[in-house]
Amino acid sequence: MRSGSDGGSRAPGRALVAYYMVDRARIGRYVPLARAARRVGATHLELGFPFSDPIADGPILQEAADRALRHGTHWADLLSAIRETRSILPTIVMSYANPLWTRGLERSLADLRDAGASGLIVPDLSLEEAGPWRLAADRARLDLVLLASPGSRLARIRALARASRGFLYLVSRYGTTGGGAISRPSDLAPLVRTAHAAAPGLPVYIGFGIRDRASAASALASGADGVIVASALEHALARAPSTATIARVLRPIASAVRAVGV
Amino acid sequence: MHSRYGPYGGAFVPETLVPALQELEGTWRTARRDPKFRAELARYSRSLGGRPTPLYRAERLSRRAGGAEIWLKREDLVHGGAHKFNNALGQGLLARRMGKPRLIAETGAGQHGVATAMVGAALGLRTEIYMGEVDMERQRPNVLRMRLLGAEVHPVSTGQRTLKDAINAALRDWIAHVRTTHYLLGSAVGPHPFPAIVADFQSVIGNEILREARRRWGRPPDLAVACVGGGSNAIGTFRPLLRTKTELLGVEAGGPRGHPTGAASLARGRPGILHGTYSYVLQDRDGEIRDTASISAGLDYAGVGPEHAFLKDSGRARYVAVHDDEALRAFRWLAEDEGILPALEPSHAIFAAVREARRRPASQRIVVTLSGRGDKDLEVVGRAIRI
Ligand SMILES: Cc1ncc(COP(=O)(O)O)c(C=O)c1O
Repeated sequence: MRSGSDGGSRAPGRALVAYYMVDRARIGRYVPLARAARRVGATHLELGFPFSDPIADGPILQEAADRALRHGTHWADLLSAIRETRSILPTIVMSYANPLWTRGLERSLADLRDAGASGLIVPDLSLEEAGPWRLAADRARLDLVLLASPGSRLARIRALARASRGFLYLVSRYGTTGGGAISRPSDLAPLVRTAHAAAPGLPVYIGFGIRDRASAASALASGADGVIVASALEHALARAPSTATIARVLRPIASAVRAVGV
Repeated sequence: MHSRYGPYGGAFVPETLVPALQELEGTWRTARRDPKFRAELARYSRSLGGRPTPLYRAERLSRRAGGAEIWLKREDLVHGGAHKFNNALGQGLLARRMGKPRLIAETGAGQHGVATAMVGAALGLRTEIYMGEVDMERQRPNVLRMRLLGAEVHPVSTGQRTLKDAINAALRDWIAHVRTTHYLLGSAVGPHPFPAIVADFQSVIGNEILREARRRWGRPPDLAVACVGGGSNAIGTFRPLLRTKTELLGVEAGGPRGHPTGAASLARGRPGILHGTYSYVLQDRDGEIRDTASISAGLDYAGVGPEHAFLKDSGRARYVAVHDDEALRAFRWLAEDEGILPALEPSHAIFAAVREARRRPASQRIVVTLSGRGDKDLEVVGRAIRI
C-alpha cells in the first residue's frame, strides 16, 4: 500500500491526512482514533514519534512531544501504534532524523515497514542529506516523503518532487507547525504546478497551519491534492481526548476536501 | 571548505532554511576573498575588538603546577570579555553584506549574546537574543548588558531552559523570518556552513598564538588547551595548529560529581544528529537528547561541533572532562596566582592545563586559551565557595 494516490486502497478524491502524536498513554486507543478519523473522511494517518528537540514544530506539537516523553514513550510504542492503525488507514510515520539514525537506518526502516507503515516523513532531512535515506527507504519499501517550502526555488521543487515518494509535502508558509496564516493560493500554485510537471502522478499535500474549512480550502485552491492536519487536532485532543473531538476538528476540513472533488 | 569532517557535519535542516544556508555560504565564500571585506574585518577587530590579544606567561600558576610553563592566550581581553566577539563581528559583517536588517542569536553564558548585541549596535542591525531561563538567572549581569546594548532578550522556558533550548527557539524564529533575519550562531555547531564559518572567524586565536610563539620561541607550543562547549574557541585555537606538532587538548564540562554525563558530549556521547549537524551527542537509546549539567552555562550543551568529533576519532586531538569542583579550584588559582578572574568555561581548561603541566618537563610550553573573563560568574562562584 503506497502513501499517495498512485496506488493502494484510497477512495478517489483528494487526501486528508490526520496526524496523531504517538503517546504511550494512548496505546490501545489508536484503533478508535483512526476509525474516528476515517469516518469523517481522513484518507491517511500520520503518526508522530516524539522528539526532545523538534525544531520544525510550534508550541502545540512541542508540548505534545514533551507530554509523550514524560509518559515514557519509546520506539516500541510507535510500532504498537502503527500496528493498531495500519489496517484502518494507510499510516505514515513522522520522525526527526536522530531517533531513526541512532537505531541504525536499516533497522529503523525495517521496523517501521514490518509494523505496517507505508511512508516516512523526516522534517529535518534536507535533499542534500537524503541520499542514503532514500536508498534505505527503497530497500525497505517505504515511501520517503520529502518536504518543500514556499522559499524553495522552482528548480529545487523539481528535484524534490522527483526524489520524493508517496507524495510531496509542501509546507504552507514560513514558520513552524501550528497557528498562523498560510501562504496565498497564488503563491503556492506555481510550486504545486512545478511539482506536478516534474513528477506526474506524485500528489502534493499541503500542511502546517491547516485548521479549519477556510485554511483547507485556501490550500487546495493552489491545486494541491490534499491537506495534512496536525496541530489543530493535537490541540483539541489535549483538551478533550475523544472521538467527538476528532469529528469536530476534521469534519469542516473534510468538507473542504470533498468540495474540490476529484 | 567542506560540509563534512570525515563522516561528521552536514546540514540536517527543514527545507525552509536551505536557501538561507546556501546564501550564507555563497556570501561568506566571496567575502573571505574580498580585500575590502578583510580590511573591514581587520579594522573592526583591531579598533573595536582590541585585537591582537597577547600571550601571558602565568609564572606563579606554572610554579604551582611544577613542571611545564603555562601561557595564557588572553581572549578575556577582547571587547565584551570573551572570544565570542571574533565570530559575532565576522557574521555581523556578512549579515550586512546580505542586506539582512535583523540579527537573532542564542546564548548560554550570555557572552555570545553580549557580543552579538555589541556588533548589532555597531553595525545598526536590530538584535534579538534567545536565552534559557535557567541561564538568565545564573548569568544575570550579561542579561543586563545585552539589554543596555539595545538587544531584546527573549526568555526560553522549554526543555531544560538552557543553551540547547535557546538554539531550538532561535532556529524556530529563523524558520519564520528567514528572509529578513540572519541567525548569528555562536559556536562551531549547527548545520553547514556554520561550523566552517565560525571556525574561520575564530581561527584568529590560533593564528595569533602561532605567530607569537614563533616570534618568542622560534617554534609552536608543545600543547594547546581549550575548553569545549560547542567548540568555537577550541577549534579557533586548534585549526591553525593542526599542521604543526602541537598536541591538542579539548576540555569538556564533566558537571557535578556523580552526574552520569555532565555536558561531556565527546567523552560520554555517541554520534547523532542535533541542531542540524552530525556529531557526538548526549542521547538515550531512542535518540532523545539527554539533560546535561554543568556549573558553566557556556559549556552546558548536549552536542559539540562536528570538526571536534572528527579530530577525536582521528586522534589528532584529545578530549577530557573536568568536574565543576575542579573548575572552581582552577578559577581560584588563576585569581590568586595571577590576578585574573577567569570565566567558568575556561576555568575547566586551566584545571586540565595545570594537570598536564605537572606531568611535563619545565622545557615544555603549554598555551591555554583563556576564552573569557569571570565577571559574569562572580555570583555563582561566590555562592559555590561561600565567600
Ligand atoms: C568565555 C566562554 N568560553 C567558552 C565558551 C564555550 O563556547 P565554545 O565552546 O563555542 O568556545 C563560552 C560560551 O558561552 C564562553 O562564554
